[in-house]
Amino acid sequence: MSVTSIFFQTLIGGIGIGSLYALVALGYSMTFRSMGLVNFAQGSIYMVGTYFGIIWYQGMVMNLHVPYAAAFLIGLLCNALLGIVLERIFRPLAKLDLMLMLLATIGLGFILDNLFTIIFGATGFAVNSPLPNTPWIIFGVRVLPQMALLIGVSFSLMIGNQLFLSRTKWGRAMRASAVDYEIARAMGIPTNRMNALALSIGCMMSAAAGILAAPIVYVSPSMGVAVGLKGFAAAILGGLGSVPGAIAGGLVYGVLEALSAGYISSTWTQAIAYIVMVVVLMVKPSGIVGEITVEKV
Amino acid sequence: MFLEIDQLTMRFGGLIAVNNVSISIEKGEVHGLIGPNGSGKTTIFNVLSGYYKPSGGKIIFEGRQISGLPAHQITATGFARTFQNMRLFKSMTVMENLLVAMGYRAGVGLWQEIFDPVAVHREEQTFTEKAIELLDLLEVAEFANEPATSLPYGHQRRVEIARALATNPKVILLDEPAAGLNEIETEELRKILVRIHDRGITILLVEHDMKLVMEACETITVLDYGRKIAEGTATAIRKDPVVIEAYLGKEGNP
Amino acid sequence: MRKITRILRWILILAVACLMLVLPWIAQNRYQVHIANNIGIWLLLSLGLNIAMGYAGQYNLALGALWGVGAYTAALLQTRLGVPFWINLPLSIIAAAVIAAFVGLPSFKVRSHYLALVTIALGEAMNLVLVNEVPITGGADGIGHIQMPNFFGFPINNDERYYYIILIMVILGYVLGRQIVSHRIGRAFRALRDDFQAARAMGVNTGFYQILAFAISGAYAGAAGALYAQLNTYISPDIFTFNSALIVLTMILVGGMGSLPGSIVGTVLLLVLNEYLQVFQRWQLVGYGIAIIVVVLFLPGGVVELARKFGNFRRRWLAGLSKGKSDAEAG
Repeated sequence: MSVTSIFFQTLIGGIGIGSLYALVALGYSMTFRSMGLVNFAQGSIYMVGTYFGIIWYQGMVMNLHVPYAAAFLIGLLCNALLGIVLERIFRPLAKLDLMLMLLATIGLGFILDNLFTIIFGATGFAVNSPLPNTPWIIFGVRVLPQMALLIGVSFSLMIGNQLFLSRTKWGRAMRASAVDYEIARAMGIPTNRMNALALSIGCMMSAAAGILAAPIVYVSPSMGVAVGLKGFAAAILGGLGSVPGAIAGGLVYGVLEALSAGYISSTWTQAIAYIVMVVVLMVKPSGIVGEITVEKV
Repeated sequence: MFLEIDQLTMRFGGLIAVNNVSISIEKGEVHGLIGPNGSGKTTIFNVLSGYYKPSGGKIIFEGRQISGLPAHQITATGFARTFQNMRLFKSMTVMENLLVAMGYRAGVGLWQEIFDPVAVHREEQTFTEKAIELLDLLEVAEFANEPATSLPYGHQRRVEIARALATNPKVILLDEPAAGLNEIETEELRKILVRIHDRGITILLVEHDMKLVMEACETITVLDYGRKIAEGTATAIRKDPVVIEAYLGKEGNP
Repeated sequence: MRKITRILRWILILAVACLMLVLPWIAQNRYQVHIANNIGIWLLLSLGLNIAMGYAGQYNLALGALWGVGAYTAALLQTRLGVPFWINLPLSIIAAAVIAAFVGLPSFKVRSHYLALVTIALGEAMNLVLVNEVPITGGADGIGHIQMPNFFGFPINNDERYYYIILIMVILGYVLGRQIVSHRIGRAFRALRDDFQAARAMGVNTGFYQILAFAISGAYAGAAGALYAQLNTYISPDIFTFNSALIVLTMILVGGMGSLPGSIVGTVLLLVLNEYLQVFQRWQLVGYGIAIIVVVLFLPGGVVELARKFGNFRRRWLAGLSKGKSDAEAG
């Protein structure tokens, strides 16, 4: 294989992983934007959403082997409901001291991670792709069909989300209530419901990310830890609270990680990823697009 | 020159908050800084105390340039300040608030802080005595062991002033100390200012209460939209048509 | 009335002190002493983290990894160079404190949730170093055959004897911690936590104190690590993670952030419950997560706040009683 095709392969891999991070980062940004809250449990929500969907596909529920697409939708639905529940839990938290708020969401993540470890065991399992395993060859670059699916569906979701936010009545209401809580309420916008919607979307995105990535990465109750951290870093990179920023941040992060794994060393990739995160945070804590601070009531 | 604000300019993005302002302050002076809201008074304070770095110009104190130094170093050079919205340390008592302000002058080193309790105790005794003396000056000594933010508003203001004095300053910046005070309390404040002045401390006063400013200040600088529009004694300023225009114009009187 | 409560309090302290001193004798078996030793190590971690987070407000979620720094420093010095206990203990403390200071450097530029993220990331990166640098650290297999201490021919080769070393270290840790937080350093910490800018205006060198907070928590973690390594004679990276930092966090939150006695209460409470409930390991952790949320929502000051409220309630009730009596006598 030529040098260029290796490069593009790595790049595609990076975009794939980046889409994953972008979807998770969306969760962070949308929660922050609407409720002014940093949800450290987002990684756990990613893991939970994956399980909600994959167990149907894997035959873990009454030995049913639900088709992948259906399992995908089930996972999204479950996580959407989770988002609504979370809004209820986060409402009292949003008014608290920043440190306490952080700790509570960390605690939540802790609960979810360990609960699922109890239910499903600490070791995970591999998931088979619904698509054939032979790579497609596009312009001389080998791409796994699942990877293409991941990228394709992720981008569709992100674009769909963007359209929803900018074009529909609900989307506009959400943005309004995020920008100015008081005025939105005065205008009769049900802000709590808007927050629940924002959270639901964020959780759905995370579930989608996990279910799409499941055949590529390993599914286990601890799968959310690293992804959660990196998704957060990606959200900050793009500017916490900014939806396009989250997408950009996720993709950049994924590509950087893939390139460093491919060209530097894969054992040190993780550590490098973390150090890059730290450096970025220190150099430009408001991210590429700029942090959108939320006026909390 | 004791304290020189030299062609100070402060820009925030596109907004020019302070525009080429120069003020000379003599040692021991009581100098007032007045102007309509948004004229740049607090911004100047923030530059003086080291919160901002000037976009242009400099601050020279006792011959040394202090603009651009970190805030805690500027305090060490001899500047103290109070805040418009009063920022006492809410987890601490009145006494502890003052002790914090004295901390930078501690003679006890870090190692001793942990391992030499005798030296620490001795120094804390000294500092506590000095703190009581300052609290006496401000007539709030009886509240020394109360949580600082549990006191009534007027007393909290005094604690804030006492805390600023605890840094042993040569210059004290008072940012609207009379805000929220009634006439009696304001008169008490004026007496406090006299006491501070008698100690040889230079006072820079930002205020909206004109009576207090006119009575307490020897020299007054007037700002409008970030520019200096007048400077002089209280009587001169009161009659200055430019000043009257700026104030009356703001209130929208026909 | 007050004098009696004071005397009672001293008697209580004395009783607890005696209990602590004779614990290895009155314990029913070696396992209980081992639990006590374990509690002691976690106590050091809690005290350190509480000073950094509870007093100075600095998120040091790399604490788990710093604990590892202490443990690996002691382990390597002991197994590779034969350095004795009483030298590798201070060296581990210093190593962990220095690295903690570096972990604290980002605190100049970033605050709150960003700082939390940064310290978690740095902690995980350090843990990865422990896992990956196989030739030095033994990788995931860890380091074994660590010798227990030996004081000039007197071997500290069991839990009972080791207990006294840990007891001394915990007492030292508490006393020094108290000294730190009760005077200038503690006040500077609280000032920078209460109002960063106002602290600077009052002459507090906030940057210095931020790093100091990290270094102090690192020092405690280093001590805990050295003690851990030489007690268990085997260490591996999987306990020196963010997970452990979270557990310590739960302990200080439940006990009372910003209160040293609170750290003790929280740590002892959670670890003792751990043992006596003997529930499946994971449920305990779920319980910890629930404890965090409950405390944050309903009792942010932890058990210590509960005690204070109870004390106030009791005082007012007593005052009400005596008032009623005097009213009755007057009327």
